[in-house]
Amino acid sequence: MSRKKIIFSPVTRLSGILSVKVTIDDNRVVDADASSTMFRGFEWIMKDRQITDAVYMTQRVCGICSLAHGATGSYLLDELYGNQISENAQYLRNIMYGADFLQNHIRQIYFFSLPDYVKMPNQPPFHGQNLLDARLSPRDNQRLVDNYFKSIKAGQQSHQILALFGGKAPHQHSFVHGGVAVAPTVDKINTALALLAQVKEFVSETMLPDVKLISRVYSDYFKIGVTPRRLLSFGLWRFGENNEKYLWKGRALNGNRLTEVDINLINEGIVNSWFEGEADNIYNGKLEPEPLKESAYSWVKTVKYQGEQFETGPLARLIINRLYKGGTSTMDRIMARAIETLLITELMEEWLSKLKPSNKAPIIQNKVPIKEQVIATTDAMRGGLLHSTKIRDEEVLKYNIITPTVWNFSPKDDYGNLGPVENAMVGTEIPYPGDLYTILGRIIRSFDPCMSCATHVLDVAGNIKDKVVF
Amino acid sequence: MNKEEFIQGCQRLRNTQDYRLSKHILSGIKGYRVKSDSKLPVLWLETSDSGDNNISFMNTTYPYLGQVFEDMIDLLYSNTFMAAQGKHALDILKRITRYQKGEFVLVVEGAIPTKANGLYNIVIETQRERITALEAVKWLGGLAKYVVTIGTCASFGGPSAAKPNITGGVAVSEVLDREVIKVSGCPVNAEWFVGTLAHLLMYGKPELDELGRPTSFYGYTIHRHCQRRSYFDRGNFAQALGDIECMFSQGCVGPKTYADCPYRQWINENWPIEANTPCIGCTNPDFPDGSSPFFTPLPEKRQEDNKKREGQKDE
Repeated sequence: MSRKKIIFSPVTRLSGILSVKVTIDDNRVVDADASSTMFRGFEWIMKDRQITDAVYMTQRVCGICSLAHGATGSYLLDELYGNQISENAQYLRNIMYGADFLQNHIRQIYFFSLPDYVKMPNQPPFHGQNLLDARLSPRDNQRLVDNYFKSIKAGQQSHQILALFGGKAPHQHSFVHGGVAVAPTVDKINTALALLAQVKEFVSETMLPDVKLISRVYSDYFKIGVTPRRLLSFGLWRFGENNEKYLWKGRALNGNRLTEVDINLINEGIVNSWFEGEADNIYNGKLEPEPLKESAYSWVKTVKYQGEQFETGPLARLIINRLYKGGTSTMDRIMARAIETLLITELMEEWLSKLKPSNKAPIIQNKVPIKEQVIATTDAMRGGLLHSTKIRDEEVLKYNIITPTVWNFSPKDDYGNLGPVENAMVGTEIPYPGDLYTILGRIIRSFDPCMSCATHVLDVAGNIKDKVVF
Repeated sequence: MNKEEFIQGCQRLRNTQDYRLSKHILSGIKGYRVKSDSKLPVLWLETSDSGDNNISFMNTTYPYLGQVFEDMIDLLYSNTFMAAQGKHALDILKRITRYQKGEFVLVVEGAIPTKANGLYNIVIETQRERITALEAVKWLGGLAKYVVTIGTCASFGGPSAAKPNITGGVAVSEVLDREVIKVSGCPVNAEWFVGTLAHLLMYGKPELDELGRPTSFYGYTIHRHCQRRSYFDRGNFAQALGDIECMFSQGCVGPKTYADCPYRQWINENWPIEANTPCIGCTNPDFPDGSSPFFTPLPEKRQEDNKKREGQKDE
């Protein structure tokens, strides 16, 4: 194969819309652009709104991880208003958040990733699969197809736990600033325990063995889609009256160096993104979308930590917290997601048993803000998520979001340094042209891209740094 | 099951297991499938949206998602579910437009950005062209038997077209010169959507309200059937979120919102007012701007809106 440019679009089976452009030379990917092609502009939408609208509004950024935005928005408001969160409210919040994680991971693994490795029945919506590199024995293959359909109920039951406490799902209502508006009554706790037991059984008896089987049969993917060992997590499962304690710590891991995350070391650039504006203008909030910018190829901005692009997600979380030992390959990312799912079911059981039954909702909302600007971070399903805001008289002057997919799908920086997904693709060997989509698709989906999230937004600069360094 | 029985099933004011619509859908479809082999060919286009409607659709029970695929629809194109990818996915799309013209249902999930010729939302790229959501929906909308919009963004613009709407997002009906069946909600309740598909399959187009929504699901206000209506009538209002009284004081827009959440419920479990929070009117044409600030009582929301409008005039 001589040098050739190929557009991979649409990259299906993910949340949102993504195109990938690769250059192939001598059967190897030598260049890659990950191109997010949808923009919604939530940063602009949030402006001038009442700040307490943040939880419900920002959940609309994303369908599959909506509570991640609701949770971060709640942490942000808690700090702005100085709310004290009771222990019971924290258990309840984490149970609800955990349920949304289970939903996300189960659906990502079965609906999105599984058809990369398993020959699906030749009927809608699986027709035209074109999976040449299908290696499972017919018996194993059939079992995993059956499990695809079994996973439907486990995903639904996970969201049922969230709806039980949250009023609805996606876009739950009760996890808001000040606590949770729903009382953890005995009947609700019992219903949740019963649902969780079924989800846990599916995860431990079906999902984990399925993922292990795939990782054995496709073990070469422990060497494909490898990223530099630069991993970032903001921490997950918050406790304490002021949301100050994390069960899983947030850290930056660069090679073997593990450091505390310093938010001031985050910066963003727009050299390859469809935006116009100078650094100072970004500070003043004058950055404007420019879909006609010729040199750009994505709505995602280049985000960096300490001058380098970092990968984020379940793998980063688990490695940083010493819950997973392994590399940074395609299969490591999938394994980490599956292991994390099981860990979360165990944590949720513990939390449900510690939750004190009550007929009163654990919520107290202060009415007057005690701060004017705040940054809130947590890990979402796909990795580190940041919300920041600046307000006056409870009205939003500026609201910024950096989603996990912005980290992972960061386009190239000024010096041509690749973002994590681009990095994972470049250098990959494509033995047969017919396998191109399959191989790239496996790499891309291991990051669990959510382009709905990535493309609203957004700059962090205004509230975080005095000077933005590009 | 005949059409009248089905519609009655849709409108039952009960939420016990026995009366759930979902069970009606399943038995109706089973009966229908005995007589007819045909399923509904569906082409699902994702545009400017969060993908929440897809997720809500996955939450359907009786029929569960697998049963929807097995017995109700042939999901021929879907960015979320299809196994095909890249050019193979585009080929499938082109084949449908050639060979199943006038037969398929186009489901659109998301608003349609119109500024900069729609470049804010490119759905497919090839070496030769970039297909925007605007082009795709016009192209496919012209060839479909029915056009169904899922969620409030596609139905009315919704959050994707919220102020200041810098992408120029509009409802699907704004760019298509044909009837659109609007199944709104943020997200849609799975039963509203699956119920509408079931009706299309078995009886054709459902009865629509003046906004284009199926009356079976959007026929009455939240307020009319709210379990906390007696609190409202007695002037017994909640002091804060988490209270068990009427949520009107906390910003509830149930009185102006048409949807059946009080008895439909979400994933058979709960709904926002039962979760001690206000209804934010997510099925409405003016959502979210007409509902915000979400926690300000309805009469004051309107005042604030008027004030802002006057302020803009002064400028």
